Amino acid sequence: MDATLSRPAPVSKKGGGAGKRRPLVSARVLPYLLSLPALLTCIGILIPFITAVIYSLERYNLAFPQARRFVWFGNFIHLFSSAGFWHTVYVSLAYTVLTVGVELLLGLGIALLLWRRSLLTNLLSVLLILPLMVAPAIAALMWKLMTNANFGVLSYLVNAVGIHDFRWGASPSTALFTVVLVDVWVYTPFIAILLLAGLRGLPRQPFEAAELDGVPASFVFFRILLPMLLPYLLTASLFRMLDSIQQFDIIYAMTQGGPGDTLLVFQVQSYLQAFTFTDIGRASAILMVLWVITYALTTVFMKNWTRLRERAHGHA
Amino acid sequence: MQSPAFRVVRALLLLLIGIFFLFPIVWVLLMSFMTNVDILRSPPSPFFVPTLRNYVALISGHLSTSSGEVQIDYMHNLLNSVILSTCSVIVSLILGVPAAYAFARFKFRGGEDMAFTLLSFRFAPPLLVLLPLLGYFQAIGLYDTYFGLIWVYQLITLPLVLWITRGYFEDVSEDLELAYRLDGHSWLSTFFRISIPLARPGIAAAGLLSFIFAWNNFIFALILGSSSVQPVTVGALAFITASGIEYGQIAAALVLSVIPTLILAIFTQRYLVEGLSLGAIKG
Amino acid sequence: MSDKISDLFGAFLAGRVGRRELLARASQLGLGAAAATTFLNRTQSQALAASSYDWKAQSGQSIKLLMNKHPYTDALLKNIDAFKSLTGINVTYDVFPEDVYFDKVTAALSSRSSSYDLFMSGAYQTWQYGPAGWLVDLNKFIHDTSETSGDYDWDGILPNLRSATAWSGKPGDALGGPGAKQWALPWAWELNSIAYNKRILDAAHMEPPKNLPDLIEMAAKISKDVPGVYGIGARGSRSWATIHAGYLSAYTNYGAKDFDTSGGKLVPTMNSKQAKDFTRLWVEMLQKGGPKNWTTYTWYEVANDLGGGTSAMVYDADSAAFFQEKGTKEAGNIHYHAFTPNPDAHQPTPNVWIWSLAMSAFSKHQQAAWKLMQWATSTQQLTLGATKADLIDPTRQVVWDNQDFKTRMNGYPGYLEQFAASSPGAKIYFTPQPLFFNVTTSWAAALQKIYSKQVSVDDGLDQLAHDITAQLENAGITD
Repeated sequence: MDATLSRPAPVSKKGGGAGKRRPLVSARVLPYLLSLPALLTCIGILIPFITAVIYSLERYNLAFPQARRFVWFGNFIHLFSSAGFWHTVYVSLAYTVLTVGVELLLGLGIALLLWRRSLLTNLLSVLLILPLMVAPAIAALMWKLMTNANFGVLSYLVNAVGIHDFRWGASPSTALFTVVLVDVWVYTPFIAILLLAGLRGLPRQPFEAAELDGVPASFVFFRILLPMLLPYLLTASLFRMLDSIQQFDIIYAMTQGGPGDTLLVFQVQSYLQAFTFTDIGRASAILMVLWVITYALTTVFMKNWTRLRERAHGHA
Repeated sequence: MQSPAFRVVRALLLLLIGIFFLFPIVWVLLMSFMTNVDILRSPPSPFFVPTLRNYVALISGHLSTSSGEVQIDYMHNLLNSVILSTCSVIVSLILGVPAAYAFARFKFRGGEDMAFTLLSFRFAPPLLVLLPLLGYFQAIGLYDTYFGLIWVYQLITLPLVLWITRGYFEDVSEDLELAYRLDGHSWLSTFFRISIPLARPGIAAAGLLSFIFAWNNFIFALILGSSSVQPVTVGALAFITASGIEYGQIAAALVLSVIPTLILAIFTQRYLVEGLSLGAIKG
Repeated sequence: MSDKISDLFGAFLAGRVGRRELLARASQLGLGAAAATTFLNRTQSQALAASSYDWKAQSGQSIKLLMNKHPYTDALLKNIDAFKSLTGINVTYDVFPEDVYFDKVTAALSSRSSSYDLFMSGAYQTWQYGPAGWLVDLNKFIHDTSETSGDYDWDGILPNLRSATAWSGKPGDALGGPGAKQWALPWAWELNSIAYNKRILDAAHMEPPKNLPDLIEMAAKISKDVPGVYGIGARGSRSWATIHAGYLSAYTNYGAKDFDTSGGKLVPTMNSKQAKDFTRLWVEMLQKGGPKNWTTYTWYEVANDLGGGTSAMVYDADSAAFFQEKGTKEAGNIHYHAFTPNPDAHQPTPNVWIWSLAMSAFSKHQQAAWKLMQWATSTQQLTLGATKADLIDPTRQVVWDNQDFKTRMNGYPGYLEQFAASSPGAKIYFTPQPLFFNVTTSWAAALQKIYSKQVSVDDGLDQLAHDITAQLENAGITD
């Protein structure tokens, strides 16, 4: 990636040649000094990563050590030629789009509602983080109980309002809805808190000016607020996207990927391959595909992020 | 100004949101005071005789199940969670905030690539690296150590700290820093006295979120440690036994596990609110 | 300990005094029942130590166990101090919840870690772990008199269980057949039959089911007529566990098999006529009289519903029902019933699960680990677990014949009768092969699709057999 093109350059943009005036001798070294420790700390993860890449090119089932051998792209060819794999791609993407989409809208709505400071909104903004504090693995366990047909309070309530025979995670037609619901419950606060912090950091001037000028609310929202908030929206959705496409805890605890193959997303599929079927080669191949998809999505994201950020700064 | 109708709608929406997000929490809180017989009642009912037995069992470490007295170690798990999450966030802040500042303020060769690489550590699903990592951890003695887990947790917390605070640094005007520098202060003192305080809401939000994500991690701790370093996420599952799921204890465990994070959130909230006034300075 | 008490315990161990009498006389001597058990245990350990076998040979060594959170584990750990003083071996342990237990085992073994010396396993797991080279073939210890105490009585363990934990590693070879390696020691087991809520059945004026068609009719009627209660609980989650419990037990009873090995090849037969006819009945049972969220049902949901009084019957492990006997709403109403699903069959054919102890090939203290394994599966320890803790499915016939155990289990109506009727036909009915988990997971997914009416029984099972053939070919184990 070309560093000079892909970076917004606040330094030069502020005008006045601020960069030139910087009197620091170590100006060239300083950024490296600041950022390299972080990189060096994490770089070690590349070693197991490379090991995993090699696994993905092997026929490697722990239960048949004698059959282990290098098969180049055999695992990938097998994957791409199986119908189940494309279903996995589809479900994972559908899950990601649905969760990120709903959570963004809902999170933005919540942040806007909490924007104005009051005792109530301050209290709510803390309480709303509660779902996020419950580990998804345990949250899913609780949701499974709450949606149990006999003992579950949600099943009871749904039944009480006249929707009978709603089977939550147990029916192919409602399983996706159910896990998306749990994901929305757990992670919307993540987006809301980021956007709220962003909102509260925005300058007041443009809004005051708009109000004085009698600018319509929709214009203020779409033309002033949203562009200014865009960097936060992007950060929030990027991280949610990365987590969503790699979702495991909620789906596995609620349905184990079922019913049938309905919710067999990448991580559930590869978890089964690795831990239940001890097929390390296949599991690694599936995860490599996931890695590539994630990489590609993020790259697209970053390109737009750069463009949008520049535009956002232009508006501010 | 807001019309009364708008206020009513707004209050109504807040109420709906409150119910959706808090009802399950309230229900879990109720469950933590129920016996399993009360929880496994059909139809479910919010009326029951409250008991402290779940909490007593967790805190005292003695659990009497249907199959006799069992030792549990939940408080130890809780302590592990506090140690792991706190250390992970501190390390991430020390490493991540200066790096975020560098990426936000300076245009330097390879900078953007480094930022992207740091983010890309989150692309790799934990499962992918888990089994090889276990082998290496055992070889170099990091298996079952706080140090090892805190290092692995950096993969979760560091990108989050980095990318969130970077956004804030970019939005904080550079002019204030320059003015302070022109006043004859060193770069270091500018960084600590001006830049960091200005980005405090961002740092607080990032710190809180990465604390939560570290706290909620499950799979790394499960595979890379034995019971001596394991956090609450693994500990709470110990109430799933062959003789039945002790939902009451899980609920109580969940309530206990939320308390430290909640305290932190309340503490951090002050900074989030302060962010409002700082934002005004900037504009 | 006073001499009188010592003599008394000595007499008990020599068989001169019965257990009942022992407890009665001990109480005359001022010993409570709990204390008597402790003394007894100590004396037993002393008795073991008194034989010529050297229990102290590995004194000073330290071993670590990896255990599943289970009442059987609790029973073992409760008594671990007795083992420590008998052998001088130090024991530490990690206990993990069942949900993640095997993940931990797989991870630890695959990394060739020496941190755990022995662990709990099921028989199916050894079909992966054994061929992978992670387990020690225990034959080398069992038949070595210098390693194994003379009174261990290996042959006293139920023969079906001994063979179920032994396998040659060649796909399709019979369990316990020629060249079989003993991958694990059977410790406790469970067999699948019917447990029912007597209160609900009585209220509906029903007798326990005679066979599967009868069961289906009863379950459907209960689901329809009794508010808040459904007829029959069975596992249904997308997991191997769904297949191995009630489903395979009844499947076998209807004459269906998982694979045909007659031609020297593994040929999936989940789509045979018997299999299809039976699966039709099974799915009908669940649709008409099963739990509403069947496809998410694991051991826990099945058991909870019985204990919570929302299911009238369950077709699952006898111990799953037993653990609902305490601290639940329906405690005391649960009865046990041997079940022969096929009207034309002569006896029940329960598939079994065996909690067994296996030794890691990477253990650096194998002899010490073996000491613990033989101690834990000894007649004394199993008796103690069965009478004083919840190890209620012991693997030795002598414990089932123990009068105290019988007296205790008589408090659970039908338990012993159920066992006596089911036990002769109880064994593992799966064909051993290392893709066990792939096959059974796909199988469970297929049942879910059939249940949800995404496919017909015929298409679903044909597709399954086709899919499994492909998986076997891919792994290179079709012959």
